Amino acid sequence: MNKLFTRRAAFVFALVIMIALVGSVVAQDEPIIRYASYASDPGAREADEALVAQWTAAHPDQPLEHNITDHEAFKQAIRTYLVADPSLDVLTWFAGNRMAFFVDRGLAADLTPLFEREGWNDVYAPGFIALATQDEAQYFVPTSYYWWAMYFRTSIMEANGLTAPATWDELLSTCDTLNAAGIVPITIGTQAPWTAAAWFDFLNMRINGPEFHINLMRLQESYTDPRVADVFTYWRQLYEHNCFLPDSAAYDWQGGLDFMNRGEAAMYLMGGFITDSVPEEIQSDYDFAMFPVINPDVPIGIDAPTDGYFMSVNAPNPEGAYDFLAFLGSQESQQFAADELGRLPTRTDVDTSNFTEAQQKGIALVQSADYVAQFYDRDTTPEMAEAGLNAFAEFIADPMGADVAALLESLEADRVRIAAEIEAAG
Amino acid sequence: MAATTGERKRVTTARRKIQWAPYLFLLVPLALYAMWIIFPTFFSFYLSLTNWDGIAPIPGLDHLSFNNYARLFGLGGQTADRDFVVSFGNNIKWMLVFLTVPTTMGLGLAMIFNTDIRGARWFKISFYAPLILSFVVIGTIWMWIYEPRAGILNSVIVGVSQTLSQIFPFITPLERGPGWLADRNLALWAILGAAVWRQVGYVMILYLAGLKNLDPSLIEAARVDGANGFQMFRKVIFPLLGPITTVVLVISVIDSLRSFDLVQVMTPLGGASNVLANFMYIEAFNNYQFGYGATIAVTLLSLSLIIIIPYLYRTAKTELEY
Repeated sequence: MNKLFTRRAAFVFALVIMIALVGSVVAQDEPIIRYASYASDPGAREADEALVAQWTAAHPDQPLEHNITDHEAFKQAIRTYLVADPSLDVLTWFAGNRMAFFVDRGLAADLTPLFEREGWNDVYAPGFIALATQDEAQYFVPTSYYWWAMYFRTSIMEANGLTAPATWDELLSTCDTLNAAGIVPITIGTQAPWTAAAWFDFLNMRINGPEFHINLMRLQESYTDPRVADVFTYWRQLYEHNCFLPDSAAYDWQGGLDFMNRGEAAMYLMGGFITDSVPEEIQSDYDFAMFPVINPDVPIGIDAPTDGYFMSVNAPNPEGAYDFLAFLGSQESQQFAADELGRLPTRTDVDTSNFTEAQQKGIALVQSADYVAQFYDRDTTPEMAEAGLNAFAEFIADPMGADVAALLESLEADRVRIAAEIEAAG
Repeated sequence: MAATTGERKRVTTARRKIQWAPYLFLLVPLALYAMWIIFPTFFSFYLSLTNWDGIAPIPGLDHLSFNNYARLFGLGGQTADRDFVVSFGNNIKWMLVFLTVPTTMGLGLAMIFNTDIRGARWFKISFYAPLILSFVVIGTIWMWIYEPRAGILNSVIVGVSQTLSQIFPFITPLERGPGWLADRNLALWAILGAAVWRQVGYVMILYLAGLKNLDPSLIEAARVDGANGFQMFRKVIFPLLGPITTVVLVISVIDSLRSFDLVQVMTPLGGASNVLANFMYIEAFNNYQFGYGATIAVTLLSLSLIIIIPYLYRTAKTELEY
């Protein structure tokens, strides 16, 4: 009897707890803002958390649930986040084709009223308003961008009597000099081959011009065009001169950077976020320059990807999401991100007078370019990007032996199919 | 007589009553099984006929086509998907290696450690230890081993080559070792090295269990008949281990078809080292092509069924004989 009583008591106890748990979940109608971010690199995470802390301090009545996912995992998980109902409220994302993908599928909320309410159309640089706009409505809050450039270790270059190469011939001779000195000329980690895509982007823009490049990204030019084959001819020359770190596919991008941090490699074609992973004491030894000119007759293009935020169409708390986006896109927040992370602001009213030398130089670099592209995997469709990245990986695995014509034919087959699918989907 | 009929009647009614109870208990797990296993399996077949991107509403019945299959196998004038050909080939290589290397090594080790050699228990534990590690841990450990510049494997190779070159002047010392995971021609074999390392212990344990269950009188009889060590193994022990060998072979085939984790960890965007499961994952989750991913999944399932069904059929048949 006693035993029975205890068992029943335990059962009732468990039941009460369960009901309480379920009740607490159901009764959670307090307007929480759910914010998901991919800012998982050390520097970016710190800045992201600081922004959330600022919001929480200023808006105690609008609590925020913040969750940071690893960059690559976030790219895959975001689709689940977006189709769930209720979804999350605010998410970090990339401008360009990656954003358009969600807008086309009706998963991003129309932010036009927010842009009007906050008067952003007047304070954001017009190029970024254009980037936020699709079908005459705004869906994306572009808050920062960074530049891609040829990073180098000043001390190593000086020790070998070198300056940043400005032309193709200079680049090749720089490789020869550094090789003779026992230094890896250019480091690269291609375990995830987007680092190789940067080489394709810049070579294509320098050889064939940005217009051809962007049309190729839009699937309007053919991959079997001889101009694309030219890119690989130039690329191969770099391998003939042993410019790159051998076995690069064994390293991720940070693994490639380690060679440069240790002083074993001199240069790296990388985005401005590279300095997030450079030890404090050698940061001043890092400098960057525009990618060398190859064909002086074509306009100068540069990769300068833009990051920002958007709101899910199924956001359970749209008012809160609007307020939080207004905060993220505000002058104060952009100023903070620019000062803390060295990213460049998209607003015209951010005070740039305290910017570091690197930031000033980065701004000048982007402004001196005739055309600003996003990046291979942001400018073209996700599926084409995957096919392209695989082809680049295959090429750099055996640059001398790779059958470039076959690779390009395979890419062209992908391009034709993907373009037809997009056409069919309307 | 009457009592017997009454008893029989009672027995039958009781049996009838009991017959419902298992089904009642089974109802919940069966419903869950249907919901989480059966339905998704069939739904994959449906998805494989669509071009669903994982986000948009799932295409309706009027949008079904065999386009994905045509693209995969290269039907209707297309060339077969290169990634599919590579991944499928890699699965075959994986299977061939798994059917030969860990099986023989596992059997050999089991034969050795089944004797009373000193430290057998310790050796058994060491060979079995990799099995308790997750694939992610195994992959990470082997990535360090294979690291081209500082990894232990290349350090040894380079070190040995330099020492040898000092002793034998005709040997040129190696500047650096192979790229292993970075080398597209070596990556799959390097991953297989890690996979075999784990699998050997598994096979060994299965054979050890089999050896423990052998009838000692048969061994004794063979010994009395004057069989030597190899004859004993070849004519008595190995045939007696037949059922275990079948299990080992089936497990090897299944394990090689479902290989995913090591490839995913060691070469995340593999390409050259992809197996079908990774190819499916990349298409569905990286490329937003759930329809095409489902097509690959269906293909993989069909391949597995071709191998598993005869085995299940055989097992069921032998069980019925009891």
